[in-house]
Parts: sequence; C-alpha cells; structure tokens
Amino acid sequence: MMTSSKPVLAISAIAPIVLLIIMIAFLLGPASSFLQFGIVLPEVSIEKIEFTRNEIQATVRNTGPVNVNVVLADVNDRIQPAAIEPDTSLERFETALVRIPFDWNEGQPYEIGVTIDDGTRFAKGVEAAFPSLEPDLDLFVFLGMIGFLIGVVPIMIGLLWYPFIKKLGKNAFNFFLAFTMGLLIFLGIDAVIEATEISENHLSSVFNGELLIATVIILSFLALYGIGKKLTQKTEFSKLSKGLAISLMIAIGIGFHNLGEGLAVGAAIALGEVALSTFFIVGFATHNTTEGLAIAAPLTSTKAKIVKMIGLGLIAGVPAIFGTWIGGFSFSPFFTLIFLAIGAGAIFQVVLSIFHYMNEKSDLLSNTSLFAGISAGLIVMYLTSVII
Amino acid sequence: MQSTIQSAKMFYILIAIVAVSSLYFVVPGVIVAEESPRTFLTHTGLVIQTTGDVIDPIGYDGQALDFDPDKFMKEFDYGEVTVLDDGTILREYYITARDDQIMEVSPGVFYNVWTFNDSVPGPTIRATEGDLVRIHFTNEGSKPHSLHFHGIHKAEMDGVFESIGTGGKFTYEFYAEPVGLHLYHCHVHPVEEHINHGLYGAYIVDPKEPREPADEFVFVLNGFDTDFDGENNFYAANTVPFYYQHHPIEINANQNIRAYVVNILEFDAVNNFHLHGTLFHHYPAGTDTVPSGYNDMLTMSQGDRQILEFNYKYPGLYMFHAHNTEFSEKGWVSSFLVKENTDDFDTQVEYDDII
Repeated sequence: MMTSSKPVLAISAIAPIVLLIIMIAFLLGPASSFLQFGIVLPEVSIEKIEFTRNEIQATVRNTGPVNVNVVLADVNDRIQPAAIEPDTSLERFETALVRIPFDWNEGQPYEIGVTIDDGTRFAKGVEAAFPSLEPDLDLFVFLGMIGFLIGVVPIMIGLLWYPFIKKLGKNAFNFFLAFTMGLLIFLGIDAVIEATEISENHLSSVFNGELLIATVIILSFLALYGIGKKLTQKTEFSKLSKGLAISLMIAIGIGFHNLGEGLAVGAAIALGEVALSTFFIVGFATHNTTEGLAIAAPLTSTKAKIVKMIGLGLIAGVPAIFGTWIGGFSFSPFFTLIFLAIGAGAIFQVVLSIFHYMNEKSDLLSNTSLFAGISAGLIVMYLTSVII
Repeated sequence: MQSTIQSAKMFYILIAIVAVSSLYFVVPGVIVAEESPRTFLTHTGLVIQTTGDVIDPIGYDGQALDFDPDKFMKEFDYGEVTVLDDGTILREYYITARDDQIMEVSPGVFYNVWTFNDSVPGPTIRATEGDLVRIHFTNEGSKPHSLHFHGIHKAEMDGVFESIGTGGKFTYEFYAEPVGLHLYHCHVHPVEEHINHGLYGAYIVDPKEPREPADEFVFVLNGFDTDFDGENNFYAANTVPFYYQHHPIEINANQNIRAYVVNILEFDAVNNFHLHGTLFHHYPAGTDTVPSGYNDMLTMSQGDRQILEFNYKYPGLYMFHAHNTEFSEKGWVSSFLVKENTDDFDTQVEYDDII
C-alpha cells in the first residue's frame, strides 16, 4: 500500500464519487418512474413583507420540491391585482418580488397571500404595517448610532470595572472569572434561542434551521478552539500574556455574538417589528455592560495598557454597528442565524478556555468561588434580560 | 506536525467551501432590469411600473379560459322533442358525468373539476310544465355519481339512494312540475365534495302560458375551494371569477330583463345578490306569478333560487355583485353595460320560443 502510485491513489479517491454520480443519474433518469410514489406538495414561503408608498411588496421563495407559478396575490384574503418580478414562474429556491398596489394604513395588521397554479394559497401576517425605511444617509447614521449605543458604549462602561477587580484578592479574582463564565454561558444559550426563533419565524423549513444552528455552533467552536490554542501557545514566546490572550478570545466571541445581535436588531427596526423605545435601548445597554466585565476579568492578572483594553472593547462592540447596518439595509434571516450560531460556538469555546485557565492558575479548591461566580453570572444576566 | 498543519488547512478550506456554497441558497436571484418597464394601472387607480409579469384576474385581458360564461348564460338545453300519442311532449336529454378534467377556473389556476357534459355548471335543462322529461345519464367518472333534480317526482327518480357506478347508466323520467326555477346536482356522498367540484346545473320549468318576453340570463352563483381548507378561494357568477367585470354584459335600456339566479355555493351558508342602478321584482324559486318584493338585494341560502325581472332607465355601466364584499372581492362581481335603446319601449328581443 505504501508503494501505491499517485494515479492509483487519485483513482481510489475519485471512484466512489464517480459511482455516486452514476447512481444519482440512474435514479433521476431511467429509474425515476420506478421511484415515484407519494404525493409531491409544492411550497412557497413569503420571506419578507415591505410597505412602501401605496404599495405592498412581498418577497416569495419557492421552498418546495417542484417548480410553481405564482398566479394570484391577495391582501387580507381579498384578491388584488399585482405585478411579479422577474416573472410568475419560480424554480426551486428561486425568489420573486410580488408588488401589490395598495393604499395601506400604518399600524394596522395585514395578511399577505399568494396563490399558485394548483390553487393552493400561502400567506404571512404582519402585526403592524410600517413604512419601509429609505436607504439614505439619515438611516445609516441612525442605525450606526443604535449599534454604537447597544454594542460599544456598554462594553466600554463594563471595562471600567477593571481597576476594581484588579484590587481584589485571588479568591475574589477567581469569583469574577467564574462570574464571567456564567455571563458567557447565559449569552451562548440566549444566542441559540434567538437563532432558533429566527429559524422558526423567518426561515423556510427547507433550510433545516435547527440543524444548521447546531452545525455552525460546533464548527465555530472547533475553529476557535484551534485559533485559541495557537494564540495561547504563542504567548509562551511573545509578550502577549495569557490573560490578554483569553480576553482577546472573549472579545472575538462576543464580537461575533454582537454582530448577530446587531443583525437581529437592525432587521427588527427595518421590518417595523419592534417599537424602538428608549426603554428597549436602555435594557439592551444594561444587559451588554456585563460583556465588558467579561473582557476585563482575565486582564486583571496582568498589566494591561489602556489602549489594548479599548482595542478589545472595540473588537467586541463594533460588530454590533455593522450588524445594525447590514440587518437594517438588507435583512437576511439566514446570515443572522449563522452569525448568532458562530457567536454561540465562540462563546462556549471561551467558557472552556477560562475554565482551563483557572484550572492551571489555581487548584480547584477554589470551587466555592467557581460555583458562586457562575451562578451569580447567570442570575445577573437573567435579571438584566428581563429588563429588555 | 506537518500533518496537523495540513489537516488544519483542509479544515479551513472546508469552512470556506461551506460558506461560499451557502451563498447559492441565500442571495436572491439577480433581477435583471428590462430596458422599458411597463406601466400597470389597477382598477383602483393606483399605478406602478413593472418589468415583470402582471397577475390581475380582475382586469384580465389575456386568452379566453376553457369555460365561456357569455355562452353559458344564454344557452338552454330544450332536449330532443317527440310528441307522444296522447299529445304529451317528451323531451330527452343526455348527460354524462366525468371527474378527471382539469380546468383553468381563474387565469393560471388549474383545478380538477367534476362535470356534467364537460362543463361547470352543467347544461341548463329547460322544459315546459307538463312535459315528460327523460334524462339518459351515463357515469364516465371514476367515482359513483347521480342526478338529483329538485321538483315533483317519484322517489325512485330522486337520484339519492341509487348512485350510478363507474360506466353505469340510468334513465331518469318525470313530468316537468311545478313551474319555476329549480336545480339539479349530484347527490352522492360526500355531497359537499361533489358540489364543490362542479356537479350541478340549473333546471327551468316554463309555464304553459309563456312568461312576458324578456332578455333572459342564467346566473349560477358558485365557488371553488381550490386548496381544500373548507373555505372558498374563488366566488363567481357562472364559474369564472370577475368574468363579467372584464366582459360586461350588454343589455338595452328600457328592455325587460329576466335573470334566473341559482345559488349552489358550498361552505358559506349565505350568498347574496345586489343590483346597482335599478331594482328588481323577484320570485322565489319562480313558482309564483306575483313577485315577492321589489328590491335591489337578495339573500339566498344554499340551493335557493330566484327569478328576477327588471329594466334599466338610464344607459351606462352598472355593477351587480355579492354585497358580502368578501365574496365580491374574490370574484363574485359582475356588471351590465346598458345601451341606449333606439327601438320603441315595446319592442323586445326575441323570446326563446319553444316548439
């Protein structure tokens, strides 16, 4: 076997693929009639509904196994003349824009429906009609401000705990590290739930949203585990301290999380799904302040320069601004879900890193501070989440 | 060490492939703008410009569908006539049931209709009081079907307990009585399903002394539940939603109009009929010679019939529709285009005289 020539190796790698292709061709071709049993049902999903001046626009996607024609549009189950771009025929996964001229009323609920060629109707409701935002500079600034307020500012405030934690003793330090773990575990679970909600409400079942979330979480966990390992290995040779490396990992993890969160918030603003009150912003900001604390805690074991700390805060917070921009201008449930899942995987990896770090630094006799810290972190996160 | 770096590389390449390939599903197809967008004006006056297709059953101006409501509303089947020895007039009709046809019920919407003589509704059967009606029924469908006529007849001619199987034949025979507007439909269970799919038609018994001459129309008020959720997706007068909206019925002012209105709607307990610009005299089931009222609204439950008589004083375009606006906005909305009558008031269009 060791002497196998390269061509043989290549053939042995390709042969199963070739056979698989032949089998698929056979099943789709000569054997296709043999395999036809059961009833194939078409499916169309309405992914997005927007309200512009005197017009309702619905983005529809063929999420079923067969091609369909969209032949009718309705508002509140009443047939309306409409235009469909680019055309009525939708292949698998193809999208089209249904434009319904309609003098809608702001704040009123609407149900938008489309009927396909076999007479099946698919519909989606909107709780309150809301004029879709004009993609202009004002909106850009507005979304950026929201991202800045919910992402950057609270994290910077949280970092201000640094001098306080630094002055504490070893047990108290361990407590705060464990507290950070608690915060992060909560954040990770929160991200998974949020991603699942987006999957249920906005993503067609054909994408297998839940499995996608699980896949991305594990991939992101593994990828960041590899990066984290390298980063902490390097600390042995470079000036980068272990505490800083862990803080950096935490900041990156939270950065992904905030990107996903920013996407969700931006989308909610654009789709008019939330009444964006001052209270909402206050709640979000309070909640995210704890993220700053999570970054600050590991740093206390080393001398940290103020510039580095600001840098870490920006790594964690700025993605929220990009999130609100992307989410506000072109909402994609698929990408929001992906980034929330990456964030969750990253955060769980960070929790593991902190655990290892604590384990190395001190014997696990400091168990009390470990459990007290994690519990306190979870409870604080829960309480701040209730405010939102 | 070399191998771990290799595998790490492989891993990142894998992630890159997954990320790039996911774009295929996510990024909506690029919409290529045509050079000249078409202007699209809706019936409510709102205007949009589009490069895509217009889907508008209300202002439809495309190809004619399978069923022609204009032909149906003025077509009566008087049967094959023989005068029997005792002077009785025998009318023989041939009706075939099928349940395998696909019909375009609304532009672009294809639905499996069950038919009498390849049409929904079936032919309008018309006879005169006292005639002997003989109907040769053949079931070419895959399910049992029957013909149940409203009116006076023997129990064995009622078409309820004897369903006719695939390939079966049956001859229904009864005297045409009483005078009026009746209906017939398949009475095989589940009846709701057989009616929703289209097995029904109008049955008119004229009085021996003919009614006043008039321009006559048949309107069968029906609907289709095309997605089988127990609610009608489409409503219509004579099958095609919005048909008489984009093809107004031309009539003359000061001309007697007689409308035979049959309600065979399933799922909704009540249907109604509202006429614009004038009022009608109406005769429930057409059995009485004295009108029951003078109105512009009729409320009809499932299976109800009414004969309406009216005329228009002024020319112009007038709607008639279900005042239940849900029904009208799903297709049961029609209109008369009333033209100036250049003839004398007394001049009438020819009455479909029988024998």
